[in-house]
Amino acid sequence: MTLSRKRLLGGAMLAAVAGIALLGPLHGVDPLRQNLSDALLPPGGAYPLGTDHLGRDMLARLAAGARLSFGLALLAALLAAVAGTLLGLLAALRGGWAERMLLGLADAVQALPALLLVVLVTAFAPGAFLPLYLGITLALWVEFFRISRNAAAGVLARPQVEAARLLGFGTGHILRRHLWPEVAPLVATLFAFAAGTAVTTVAALAFVGVGARPPVPEWGSMMTELLPYYAEAPLALLLPALLIFLTVLGLHLLAGRERA
Amino acid sequence: MRVLGGRAVQAVLVALLVGTACFLMVRLLPGDMAYRIAASRYGYDLVDSAAAEAVRQELGLDRPWLVQLGAWFADLSRFDLGTSLASGEEVADALRIQLGHTLLLSVAALFFSLLLGPPLGVLAGLRSGGWLDGVLLALSAALRAVPAFVLGIGLMLWLAVEWEWLPVAGVGGWREVILPALTLALGLAAASCRVTRDAVAAVAASPFFGFARMKGLGDTAAFRRHGLRNAAIPVVAYLGLQLVVLIEGVVVVESLFAWPGIGHALVHAVLGRDIPMVQGTALVMGLLFVVLNALTDLACWLLDPRRRTA
Amino acid sequence: MGLPLLARLSLAQPATDTFRVVTSQEINGLDPARSGYVFTRLQVVETLLGADDGGLPVPQLARAWTLSEDRLTWRFTLRQAARFHDGTPVTAEAVVACLERARSQAGLLGNLPLASIAAESGAVLIRTSRPFTPLLAFLAHYSMGILAPAAFEGQAVRTIIGSGPYKLSRLLAPQRLEAERAEHWDGQAPTIARLSYLAAGRGETRAAMAEGGQAELVAQLAPETVERLRRNPRVAVDIRAIPRTRLIKLNCNLPLFRDIRARRALSLALDRQGMAAALLRSPASTATQLFPPAMAEWHVPGLAPLRRDLAEARRLLAELGWQPGAEGILRRDGQPFAFTLRTFSDRPELPGLATAMQAQLRDVGIDMKVAIVNSGEIPAGHRDGTLEAALMARNFSLVPDPLGTLLQDYGPEGGDWGAMGWSSAALHEVLDKLGATDDPAERAALRARASTILHEELPVIPVSWFDLATAMSRRVAALTVDPLELSFRVAGARWVG
Repeated sequence: MTLSRKRLLGGAMLAAVAGIALLGPLHGVDPLRQNLSDALLPPGGAYPLGTDHLGRDMLARLAAGARLSFGLALLAALLAAVAGTLLGLLAALRGGWAERMLLGLADAVQALPALLLVVLVTAFAPGAFLPLYLGITLALWVEFFRISRNAAAGVLARPQVEAARLLGFGTGHILRRHLWPEVAPLVATLFAFAAGTAVTTVAALAFVGVGARPPVPEWGSMMTELLPYYAEAPLALLLPALLIFLTVLGLHLLAGRERA
Repeated sequence: MRVLGGRAVQAVLVALLVGTACFLMVRLLPGDMAYRIAASRYGYDLVDSAAAEAVRQELGLDRPWLVQLGAWFADLSRFDLGTSLASGEEVADALRIQLGHTLLLSVAALFFSLLLGPPLGVLAGLRSGGWLDGVLLALSAALRAVPAFVLGIGLMLWLAVEWEWLPVAGVGGWREVILPALTLALGLAAASCRVTRDAVAAVAASPFFGFARMKGLGDTAAFRRHGLRNAAIPVVAYLGLQLVVLIEGVVVVESLFAWPGIGHALVHAVLGRDIPMVQGTALVMGLLFVVLNALTDLACWLLDPRRRTA
Repeated sequence: MGLPLLARLSLAQPATDTFRVVTSQEINGLDPARSGYVFTRLQVVETLLGADDGGLPVPQLARAWTLSEDRLTWRFTLRQAARFHDGTPVTAEAVVACLERARSQAGLLGNLPLASIAAESGAVLIRTSRPFTPLLAFLAHYSMGILAPAAFEGQAVRTIIGSGPYKLSRLLAPQRLEAERAEHWDGQAPTIARLSYLAAGRGETRAAMAEGGQAELVAQLAPETVERLRRNPRVAVDIRAIPRTRLIKLNCNLPLFRDIRARRALSLALDRQGMAAALLRSPASTATQLFPPAMAEWHVPGLAPLRRDLAEARRLLAELGWQPGAEGILRRDGQPFAFTLRTFSDRPELPGLATAMQAQLRDVGIDMKVAIVNSGEIPAGHRDGTLEAALMARNFSLVPDPLGTLLQDYGPEGGDWGAMGWSSAALHEVLDKLGATDDPAERAALRARASTILHEELPVIPVSWFDLATAMSRRVAALTVDPLELSFRVAGARWVG
């Protein structure tokens, strides 16, 4: 598959997810409205994607969840990517004590279990999703930092970069010409997966009883809520996962490279 | 060896940092600790104000926090991690059991993931852009999108209930470790498959590899001769990182499969404000991180002759 | 095609002579006050008395008991041949030591009107400071489990040495334990030689174990899994109502709930039937009053059932001055009708019920937020006054006689798991009289009176009663379920065939 076709496919996937988010307002059903006698209905009739265990409309909830999860997951991944990459490049370019400090910081953050970090951050603001995702950012940035620093250090050691330096080209030039083309694709790949990780981490935390706040429709906590009904309504359980899948794969393809 | 010395210093720093950070964070959390400890001790049927008051008296929760933190460090210097506020057990005893189980689970998961991930990654990398590459990409995205509990339930119903190959859950024999390890391994394999594929694709695109093939070596032979060692370094470095992530990722799997591990224990300890247990658990996980980092360094050093002289 | 062949390679635990018990409760420490229920239910540790299905005391370590003329001194004679698992005899001194230890700890025994506990010529003597009939029921509670002197190291329990038909052989806290027939047991030797216990926190896991035939007894089945297990030929599912009620505790000090009409309106807005059918999968568990029919002595059939009537709820609220405001939320003097309900996820159905009720109350214009917290936050909020409302499950057979629980919950200051900011002189009088009399007719009248007061005043709003769903393997026979959850009764069961 050529690069442009990959990008097209990725774009289509993301468009599908965005479409679901936009369908919500058009569909015009309150994602919180429950009808207990209509619990766990399969798709069809008044409910295009069926209902959940409280008889709430799945399409409306997925749409509302798309706006929330999609937005927050991208935000969490974006913050982690920007912070991690900038610090990584800084460490590689500066070297010396700055690099050692940053590496030490990354080690320290990783030595403190990320799970503990997120659980503690959320315990300060129980039930709010923004701190939850920001807590996840705290754990995610380290990976961006390491990857970008390692890649940048490799590039800087190359003879042609050293030559460029000797020729008097500034840091800006090296950054634009040599570092960015190498580091950006790595960061983009990581970004696609980090966004997915953010949502599934929220699901995992809700599973162990941290961070859930009913009745807000969020993909991760929707899956946790629906888990007990895996045998009766497997579709309802898998729909949020399908949307996360489309998001992750779509981002990945869109950020795709020809090789490596 | 200087590197290992540096790691030892790091270990001491981690101990100080983790212990203090955990203590402060748990103390700063909103809510009355005594009630939470009482709830985790006696259960929701029996937690009441009398029980909470008794807990407060018994544990001296009213003492200034600096005194309490100092007491913990004093104990730590004698290698005493204290006793759990919830169960009354020695933290060290509890950790020995839980850490052992988590390590067993992690090693088994790593083993399964190595059987699955890297070989598939090599195949995909040698034919990057091929159909296998595409399928594996979709599969790894899918494994990232499905939370571990959904994957675990699926495997449980399929392999244990439907086909009756394995025990559903529990602990005690070697059979019980397979299902939870496999659940973890699928997620890990997805990641290590991607990394391997990228590393192999890079090697396959490199001039020396093209040259080896011009010499007339087949793909496989060329890769074995020239590619394997080069591709292995990033994969090993990545696995070191993953192992840490894995130890945390086990919390869901441990809850689902009734496995007495450290992740499960840590979440319970935080929710129940069991400070010595949180400190002990985080300390052990932090030190484990240092050890893994050292091992990863060592493995990369052995794999890469250039670094040995450096 | 290949399946039967593959199935033969099964690595699943082969069927053995071990009776496998699976529940949701972890083994959290050895102290009887902590996870004592695990050891008493598995019949490793005994209490002085047991209780039958109706909650009446039956002999256990004590083979007989008498009450003195002044109704203050109880005398318990022990089973003569009773031995602890380390071979030492069960002496009155050992029993007294355990009871004294339980009394000194926070917990049930600490709150009782006890004057003294003593050993006297091989019998245990308990003196109360006033006549107190529920004492016998308290002695059946797991925190009053009797351990051998060798089990203690100072005040701490170091190992479990009980006196029951099974003895502990392996412990892997917090998840698993194994036990086997105790050679020193003085009664009839149990048919089943070995048993194991596994704590599996997730309802899905427990259901899968029952479904796959990998457990002989699975307790606390999640409601969603019951229907499927019923169709499984391997297991028999036992559903029985137990003396437990899910209810909403309201802070009646708040202007929102001080008026009885507001509490009644809240109660009228709830769709109990809908929740019982959709979430609890048990229409019969719809609560029509506080005490379920399973508590025959306290359930009053003549009480007008709690029901849903939105029009009446709206009328009552309007009467109190609440008017619909922005987005349909009721307002009075510029304040919205809004509060936060605390609940916890240790009982997995509670967050779902809270979410359902949130939508139901929204229909009459009440804005209820749900906070999922640690269970300790409910008594903590009761004490510091910050609690507004809580959804919880109250166990009335904590001590087999519900009176013990009612005294704690509806006393003059209310109770951590009972009324808040509400008290009734009439009810206190009734409960006090109940503790002091043992005339059956008088007691029945008093109990009915107490139930009626709680029903009319609604200091707490009942939501649903409780079903205990247990899956039992068809490989075992003569296994019964204890509605009071005191024992798994494995010692009385046998293998089929």
